[in-house]
Parts: sequence; structure tokens; C-alpha cells
Amino acid sequence: MHIFQIRYRNTQGTLMRILNAVARRGIELPFVQAEPSENAHRVTLLMDINAKQLGQLCRDWRAIVDVVEVRPGAPIKELWEHAHLGIPHPPESVVAAASVQPATA
Amino acid sequence: MRKGAQIVLDCLRAEGVDLAFGYPGGAIMPLYDALEGSGIRHVLTRHEQGAVFAAEGFARATGKVGVAIATSGPGATNLVTGIADAKMDSVPLVCITGQVRSPLIGSDAFQETDVFGMTLSLTKWNRMIRSIDELPAAIAEGFHWARSGRPGPVVIDIPLDILKASMEFGGPVKFTPPRLANHVGPESTFAATLIALLQQAKKPVALIGAGVKLSDAVEDLQQLLDLLNIPSFATVHGLGALKQKSPYYLGMVGMHGTKAANLALDETDLLLVFGARLDDRVTGEPTRFAPHAKIAHFEIDPSQLDRVRPCDAPVIGNLAETIPAFYQEAKHAHLPDFAGWRAVACGPERAERTHSPEPGETRKQGLAHPTKAFLQELFARMPKDDSGFILADVGQHQMWSAQCFRGNGPRGFITSGGLGAMGFALPAAIGVQLAKPNATVLCVSGDGGFQMNIQELATVHRLGLPIKMVIIDNKFLGMVRQWQELFFSCNYAETDLSDNPDFVEIAKAYKIAASMIKEEEFLDPGQSENVARRLTRFFRSTRPELLVFECHPEANVYPMVPAGSSLSEMVFEKE
Repeated sequence: MHIFQIRYRNTQGTLMRILNAVARRGIELPFVQAEPSENAHRVTLLMDINAKQLGQLCRDWRAIVDVVEVRPGAPIKELWEHAHLGIPHPPESVVAAASVQPATA
Repeated sequence: MRKGAQIVLDCLRAEGVDLAFGYPGGAIMPLYDALEGSGIRHVLTRHEQGAVFAAEGFARATGKVGVAIATSGPGATNLVTGIADAKMDSVPLVCITGQVRSPLIGSDAFQETDVFGMTLSLTKWNRMIRSIDELPAAIAEGFHWARSGRPGPVVIDIPLDILKASMEFGGPVKFTPPRLANHVGPESTFAATLIALLQQAKKPVALIGAGVKLSDAVEDLQQLLDLLNIPSFATVHGLGALKQKSPYYLGMVGMHGTKAANLALDETDLLLVFGARLDDRVTGEPTRFAPHAKIAHFEIDPSQLDRVRPCDAPVIGNLAETIPAFYQEAKHAHLPDFAGWRAVACGPERAERTHSPEPGETRKQGLAHPTKAFLQELFARMPKDDSGFILADVGQHQMWSAQCFRGNGPRGFITSGGLGAMGFALPAAIGVQLAKPNATVLCVSGDGGFQMNIQELATVHRLGLPIKMVIIDNKFLGMVRQWQELFFSCNYAETDLSDNPDFVEIAKAYKIAASMIKEEEFLDPGQSENVARRLTRFFRSTRPELLVFECHPEANVYPMVPAGSSLSEMVFEKE
């Protein structure tokens, strides 16, 4: 698991652009926390990625207009706990295995 | 008091906009109502995708920001392909979209779509306007991001009620960007680092991308490469940046690049990259890209560095500043001559197989040659200066055109390179011709792509634009068919277009003069004078004209680097 802390100006859509960079690669985000930080905002992200994805993500984040800083964060016990809570929001998506089961008459 | 729509137009004028492309609809009607007397000429296309591609053509030909206007819902969604295209190819573009009234947003109202959310990942910057007093600052900021740094698309989504509202308006504003920690420049010692790399290198090369043109660093680069005298080649968007006659220039590199360029890139031990993002069509299999090379990368956008593998010497900044700075240091340094390497990389043995037919050469040497010979005949009639523009759509004809392109100025070859959006060329040609009324604009499409925006013939006719339109008609989706032939056991699934309409008759229905030349006619020595006369007349025409070239259905684009192969593993046409 990797943790990133990204500081950004909280303008319209900037947080979504940060998250989109993750989502478009099909990477799961078990923990996200956004909060005010000094004179900007900070989002903390926890995810499981490989070295190639890490490079791509950091470059994509830094290219976003209102991103101020991207840096890796240290693992925090609280984040790990959150990562495994797994509380779904309705409507819950169907897991892949269930969706490909043959229909029964 | 000024209405929101008037404020939008005032702000566009303040940004230097005098031409916009669009298509009206319910949510954007107040803007159209205010157009008259605004100082902005609006060009009505026949589809929003036509509008955004036309705006792109305008921007690509001039370097200025192109502007496209559409209504909410389907109007906005029809812009999306063009927005994605502008993102991939770094085109400065501002799209103004109408939105449903503010109280209705989020209610799934008629013609409501989440344009802001939909374009987040396709734009460099976007904004939904929430009150009329946000308009001046948002438009100023949007234009700033569209044209600054690595250019790109911007979307400004404006609800109907804000366009209709009024306020005291003090005039357009200027945007001053905040200083951000991640905006970095080149290392102060970068020139010394590069000189040391060159002094150690045995086989250096230069790869030229679109960034050289976008930064207006074409002359600076030519000066530098004349000094370094190393084998050089261009991506499809870098074509035209170097003078064709430069003795060290090897043409286009990549999937359909020249043998000489691809081999040089495969063998190099020092790769100087100038404003290119090294996408997979350029690198071949990324893990086998330039396997022996250190990489020095001149780039304005730090996010483009290290994409293929770690860069040894990044040079971050505007190429119009970093290239001259390096030249000033390099001209006083003792650099190797590289004559031995040049003799190999630029030698006749490698050039011979990649020879493109000269004008008049119609000998059949494989299926592609007649079409390439035809394109050469066309290109030879283009102006030799920067008053000629060749627009290529997407597919086989695009690559043949790129291979045959011999330069009409840095911006002279325009195509949808990154996204590869079929249907781009015709509407983009409209934008180019309007931006450069006295230029010769040649639009080359395939029979598949031409039909994707064929409705823009109506725009061409209405405006009387003297665009020279050519369809390379092989009655197939040719590039897909080529891949089916080579990699899918000739299973030509859904690529057969043999029931194409009669393009000549269609053009005539749009009141556009049209004619056809068949490949056999072109190859017949007895017809050569007649064909030459027709082509000359085609180019001299001051009205829109369409010329259909019916070519062999199974002509392929070669050389070709199959997907997953290294650049040294090119496949050539069997002769």
C-alpha cells in the first residue's frame, strides 16, 4: 500500500481531477481524506499500486493546474483500519463473479 | 448594465477572439442573440463536432486559441471528441457550453448533462459558472490555461439564467496565475550536463515533436541541429519543424516511420528529445525503446518526462528559451564530429528502401505506390512556403501523407495524431482556411473518415471556401483492414465499405464541384498529361472542389512496426 498527500488549491473540480487520475487506471482507493491544510487543502490517499503506476500518477497529479505539492506519506495505523472497513453505499454493485453466472429459467 | 451573454462576448473579444465556431440550441440562445455587433464572427457548422474540429484547425494553423460554442446536453456531448483531441495534441481551445437554468441543475432536466464532470479528465481546466460576477475572471483564467505552458482545452459551462442575467460590468479582467511549487525550470547546469553527454556519445540523435512548433522554437532548433549535425527525425506532429533538405534529417520516426529514422533511434546511445511525449506509436514496444540510449528531454510539461523510462537529463522549460540557451553554450564547446555515425545513419543504404516516389514516378512497385505517387503529385503543387496547409484525416492515407510530406512550413501538416479521430480533417480544414484565407488548404481524407463529418460540405459551400478536398477511396476502413490482413488472418470483419455512396454526386448535391480519378487512369502513361492538367486545374480553382482518388482496396502502409515490436523490427512491402 502507498500513501500520498497532495496539497491543492480547493478550486472547482481539482479534487475530482486528483481522484480521476486514480480511477481511470482502475485503481481502488480504500481510503480518501480531504481537509483544509494551512492556506490550501490536502487530500490523503491510500492505494495499492506498482512502480509504473506510481510514476504515472505523480506526473498526472503534478500536471493538474491547482495542485501545489505531491508527496508520499508514511503509513498510519488509522488509515489501514479504514482501508479494511469496506462499508458499501447503496446501490451496491454486483461482484464480477455473480454477474457472469448463467441465467436460470 | 450588461447581460451575461454580452459579458461573455466582451471577454472573448478582450482575449483577441474574432472568430468562433458553433451550433445554437436552447440553453445557449442568449449568447447567439447577443452575437450581432459583438465583433465576433460566428461560423455555423452542421454539427458540434464540426465546430470543435474547425476551432482546432484554426488553433493549429495560427497558434491562437480556437473557440467553439454549443448548447447543453447533446450539443456539449458532441464536443467531447474534439476536446479529447485537443488534450492529446496540446491544442489551445476554449469551449463555451450552455447549461440548463441553475435551479434545474442536477434534476435531469431537458438537455441537461454533467458537462463539467464529463470533461474533467479531458480538459486542462474547466469551470461551471455559478453567478454572473464569476464570468470575467473565469474566462480570463480559462484563456490563460488554454494557451500557457503546454496548451490544451478548456470548457466553460454557463447556465442559461446567468447568460440572461444583468450586472454592472467594469470590463474584462486579467488573470494572474498563483506561483505554485511544482512549476519548475531547467537546472542551471543543464547545458554543461548535455555537453558532457554529447562528448561521451558515439551515436547521438535528435527526436523532434510538436512542442518545438508550439513553442515557436523552430528556427532555434534548426540552428542547434545545424551545429550538432546529428541524425534527426520527427514525430508526425514534428513534421515540418526541420528543413527537408537538412542533410542529417531522416524523416518521420515510429510505427510507419522511415527505416533510417527507426534504425537510428534503435541504435542510438544518446537521445535528445525536443518537445515530444514519446507515445507508443513513436517508441514501439516501450521496454525495448532506444535500448542503449541515455535520454535528454527538452519539455515544457514535467508530467511528460520519464514516461517510457527515467530521463537522464531533463530540461524543463519553454523550448524557445532552453534551446537557445543550450546553443549558446554548445557553440563554444568542443563537440565530436560524429561523421562516422552520420555516414551510417544517413547513408544511402538505409535511405534507399524508404524512398518515396518522386512527382511523375508512377511505376507500380507494390500496391501503395500509386497512391503515394498520387499524393506526391498533389503535394508537389502545394506552395513551397508557409502558405500551404495539408490536413490529413486518420488512417492509411494519413500515414501515406505523412510519409510523402516534404514541408510547407512548420504548421503545414495538420492531423489528429494522438487521439486519431476520424472525421477530423474536413472541419479542421474549414478552420484553417478561415484563419488563412489566402493559403492553399489541401484536405486528404479516407472514404470512411470523410463520411463521419460529410455534413460540413454544407459549411464549405456556404462560406465558399476554396478548400481542395481529396478522398483516397479504397472502399475499406483501410488501416483496420490492413491490421486484419496482417494480424487477424484476413478476417475483414465490418471493414468493407464497397457500398460507399457516390461521393462525386454527394458533393454536387452540396453544390460543390467534384470529379474522380481512378488508379488505372493515373497509372496509364497515355493519360498522364490529362491527369496532370486536371490536378493543376484542381489547385488553381478558387472555389471548393472535391477530387476522389479510387485506389486499390488492399494497399498497405509500409514500413510498419507491428504492435509489441521494437523499432528495429520493421515490416516492409513485398515487391
